[in-house]
Amino acid sequence: MREFIQFTLGGISFGMVYAAIGLSLVLIWRGTRILNYAQGTMAMLTTYVAFTVIGHTGSYWAGFTTALAAGLVLGALIERTVIRPVENKPPLNAVVVTIGVLVFLEGVAGIIYGGQYRSFPAAFSITGLHAGSLALGISLNDCFVAGAVLVAALGLAVLFRYTPAGLRLRAAAFNAYASRLLGVRVGRVLTLGWALAGLIGALAGVLVSPATFLYPASMDSIFVLGFTAAVIGGLDSPVGAVAGGLILGVALNYVGGYLGPNLEPIFGLAALILVLMVRPSGLFGTLVARQV
Amino acid sequence: MPPMTDPALTITDVVAGYGGVLALRGVSLAVQPGTITAVLGANGAGKTTLLATISGFVRPREGRISLDGTDLTRRRPEEIARAGLAHVPEGQGVITELTVEENLRLGALSRHGRASRAEALTDAFRRFPLLAAARGRSAATLSGGERQILVIARALMARPRVLLLDEPSLGLAPKMVAQVMALIRQLRDEAGLTVLLVEQNARSALAIANQGIVLNLGRVVAAADAAELAADVGLRQHYLGF
Repeated sequence: MREFIQFTLGGISFGMVYAAIGLSLVLIWRGTRILNYAQGTMAMLTTYVAFTVIGHTGSYWAGFTTALAAGLVLGALIERTVIRPVENKPPLNAVVVTIGVLVFLEGVAGIIYGGQYRSFPAAFSITGLHAGSLALGISLNDCFVAGAVLVAALGLAVLFRYTPAGLRLRAAAFNAYASRLLGVRVGRVLTLGWALAGLIGALAGVLVSPATFLYPASMDSIFVLGFTAAVIGGLDSPVGAVAGGLILGVALNYVGGYLGPNLEPIFGLAALILVLMVRPSGLFGTLVARQV
Repeated sequence: MPPMTDPALTITDVVAGYGGVLALRGVSLAVQPGTITAVLGANGAGKTTLLATISGFVRPREGRISLDGTDLTRRRPEEIARAGLAHVPEGQGVITELTVEENLRLGALSRHGRASRAEALTDAFRRFPLLAAARGRSAATLSGGERQILVIARALMARPRVLLLDEPSLGLAPKMVAQVMALIRQLRDEAGLTVLLVEQNARSALAIANQGIVLNLGRVVAAADAAELAADVGLRQHYLGF
């Protein structure tokens, strides 16, 4: 029972990171029907930006804030420059472009920072917390990770639900044609969607890097699990992505804890395949028919 | 003859089409402010292409389109909408994933200022009580007639200078057609709205229109006062089907 509690709580903080990546993928998918394979790599690059800023200023929070801002700018920049020409084109074009961005950004990171593993600081203590004599299997920083993603997700929910920008984002995603007839500048709205996705991805990058180390390919496996989280949630449901991330994070922590940590990646991929085979629309998805 | 003023919407010698097919072969039209102009003709005459060209989704190859003297030719659809031209498309216009109120709010977003947007919403609910009653419901739950009223109400949220309506009677029960037509007439008479009305249902359209044009194979084959068109037996038999 003690182990079960530890594994469950421990899984939540990783799960929230997968949720954040999943959320960023959902934002882009809803707006442009593009799966952004470069999402993890973008987060890696913005985490290097944070790494540099922390190195120069000595302030974690300066680095944290800069990374989020960099994510916002990077997302918008990528949409405007390389994604815009492949929007509303055959899906394979966008696949090739986003994989191209992935390879390019990993190359850039390698050239600037080299390939060595670097340790990235955590915001708060990583010493395990206790409830009386019971070790909970989580640290204060784990709580921060989960809390930060939760705040970001709620912030997005409020933005989408209660602001004019959110209404434009939803309308453009559901019906770009009718939106343009009503004067919605859909191009700008899509850029905003990518910028927000860049921001959420950047958040995931700085949150997970204390646990994974930072190197040019450090976000690759996190991306795959974030994608799995989004697929579990149905790929077009923000709530689904968060739920999917939590389910995946906790489930993988059980696998790692009870069966051995080496099995986690395999189970992660198995979960992806299983969901795609059994329930391709995910648990929260609205996709009812698939084109063949 | 009413005194001629500067037209609200002017279309001059517009040629447009898709690929190698020309759907409009030199169409000219002037819509006077505060009037309803009916665009009639059979399937494939070019009516919908005319509207799509005016609202910017089809780029004209030749010709000029202007709204109150401002050139709109080859501008983007969203910019044309913001310039004061509202296009209510045939079918499909309601965003069914949003609520009734969200659909309406979306229509007002091109207006500046929170107060002005809120005022537009209050006006819409006052004018269309059925939308007020359904404000929190998903727009997907509305009937065909209710959806048609919603898209017209939504288009009005931006206070457009000209309203383009594509087949508003399509798929509606006769009673609902009469209601929608009465609404369009009322908007002209009470709010001074300028309307370009595309209709297959020529009889209903001419009953409320001031003027009309008849398109055939991308050309204007007749342009006159609505009463004159309705009285022209040859025209009715050849092109209008009533």
